[in-house]
Amino acid sequence: MGLTSLLRRFPSVLMAWRNLGRNRTRTALAVLGIVIGVIAIASLGMAGVALEQQATSSLGGLTDQATVSPGEDIDTDGITDTQVETIRDVAPATTVIPQKTNRTGLSARNGEEANVQVVGLENPAPLYDISVGDEPARLESGALISESTARTLGLEIGDPIEYDGQLYRVRGLIASDSGFGSDGGGELVLPLSALNSQEYYDSVTIIAEDGDAATEAANAIEAHFNGEDDETLSVTTYASVQEDITSFTDTLELALLGIGSISLFVASVAILNVMLMSTIERRGEIGVLRAVGVRRGEVLRMILTEAAFLGIVGGIIGAAGSLAVGGVIFYVLANDLALVLAWSSSRYLLYGFIFALVASVLSGIYPAWKAANESPVDALRGS
Amino acid sequence: MSVIRLNGVSKRYQTGAETIDALKHVDFHADRGEMVVVTGPSGSGKSTMLNMIGLLDTPTEGEIHLDGRDVTDFGEDDRTEERRSQLGFVFQNFHLLPMLTAEENVELPSMWDTDVDRRERAVDLLERVGLGDRLTHTPDELSGGQQQRFAIARSLINEPDILLADEPTGNLDQDTGETVLDEITRLKEEENIAVVSITHDEQLVEYADRVVRIVDGVVQ
Repeated sequence: MGLTSLLRRFPSVLMAWRNLGRNRTRTALAVLGIVIGVIAIASLGMAGVALEQQATSSLGGLTDQATVSPGEDIDTDGITDTQVETIRDVAPATTVIPQKTNRTGLSARNGEEANVQVVGLENPAPLYDISVGDEPARLESGALISESTARTLGLEIGDPIEYDGQLYRVRGLIASDSGFGSDGGGELVLPLSALNSQEYYDSVTIIAEDGDAATEAANAIEAHFNGEDDETLSVTTYASVQEDITSFTDTLELALLGIGSISLFVASVAILNVMLMSTIERRGEIGVLRAVGVRRGEVLRMILTEAAFLGIVGGIIGAAGSLAVGGVIFYVLANDLALVLAWSSSRYLLYGFIFALVASVLSGIYPAWKAANESPVDALRGS
Repeated sequence: MSVIRLNGVSKRYQTGAETIDALKHVDFHADRGEMVVVTGPSGSGKSTMLNMIGLLDTPTEGEIHLDGRDVTDFGEDDRTEERRSQLGFVFQNFHLLPMLTAEENVELPSMWDTDVDRRERAVDLLERVGLGDRLTHTPDELSGGQQQRFAIARSLINEPDILLADEPTGNLDQDTGETVLDEITRLKEEENIAVVSITHDEQLVEYADRVVRIVDGVVQ
């Protein structure tokens, strides 16, 4: 009785609810149509997001970086201190990390050998993910080494490594997969002072706020150092790759949403049909309503409420189903079930629901208008 | 003063090339506390006349006065308001809505007036027609006579001035019909309303205060 007395306050809702309950199979089939439409829209939208996230994560954190290396027309054998200072001035809001590189062979007590790239820099923290050990802001007399190389050589945290006659202690292991920039195979990161024998820097990594800022910094550096036909410094960014991926996945997302919308369109035609059928069947009844003094607007509201009910129920079930489908998509593509809850993907649940509601109400307008405006005499005669 | 009055009402229908005069200059009136029975053969214009009195249709010629007001040129929305507040309808086939309980059916005409609670009036009316114990039943759980008594209660929920009945006993057996007519007669007096009923049932004529015969759209 509680529900009924609440519904009495909303007569259109009460009538709509009872009417939908009269032909449960028909109602269920209409709802099913909407559920399929919502699942199609929401899960295809989420699939697009998952694809984009997967592509972006393959690029790693590289999109906000630019790499400066000596160009063809440089006068020196590398990048000078003065040039590094100038880069800092030209790209002010960025982290500038000059690096010296070399190659060396390492041999362990167990007889294993490994050829590694030696990178000398002051602050390794922004560039490397450490899987074991700590991530020191300054290496001082410590070293970082790739996890795989450490495994080959049997090195552990605290073990000594000799380079250029100096001993360094392993402070951390570099995670094997930190973007496609590091090849994962053999890097030894040392303090800059370890490569003091080399006068010039081999490369400078610029880390900006985001991809746009990285592109901006790269352009500023190019403009400052390079003329039309001469390249003192060569600058590489990854942001444009990101842009390509984003524009491709955006197009893909639109195409997928388009396909999804078709199914919701089909569903709304089904609702139009169901509502039209049920109002025609109830023609006499609606005539009685009008005869006993129920207003046209009230009949209209009642039938629109029925359509809205179909949309709401179908939308909710569809959103729940889409959540499950989205979970599977994200688990398969991004290997992370929880990403489905992020706004970038979960908003498609909301879109699907709103689409369902809007499509249902729109489909209800014509049958409702037709039923409300029929003359009561004709409607009664038809019963 | 008559609560409903038709002055020279005609109704013409156009079907294809043919023009049908369903009503020809009909004068009619009904007073409070009076039961007027309109009889006549099929196709005589009884139903058209009831539609005029019930403000379900508009005349081609003539005037309709409800409670002294000229309602002839009222539009659909105004006629709906008049039906809601002044008129009660009882149909041959009862026309209760199958998905609503008996009590909800009785309240139907005023269901959208959420500011007035008609439940007390509904229960009172149902007790008066002897169905106070059937409030939560749905129409398919009720007999024809019970359904018609529910329909009578529904027609009176908004305290109308006129009760219009279209063959109210047409689907009932003799005894049940008698009960229903007794009910209508009693309520007519209690509520001081005019009752206009169309029928070709002689049984109904016995309950009439006045009988109007109509043949070929003309009142005899």
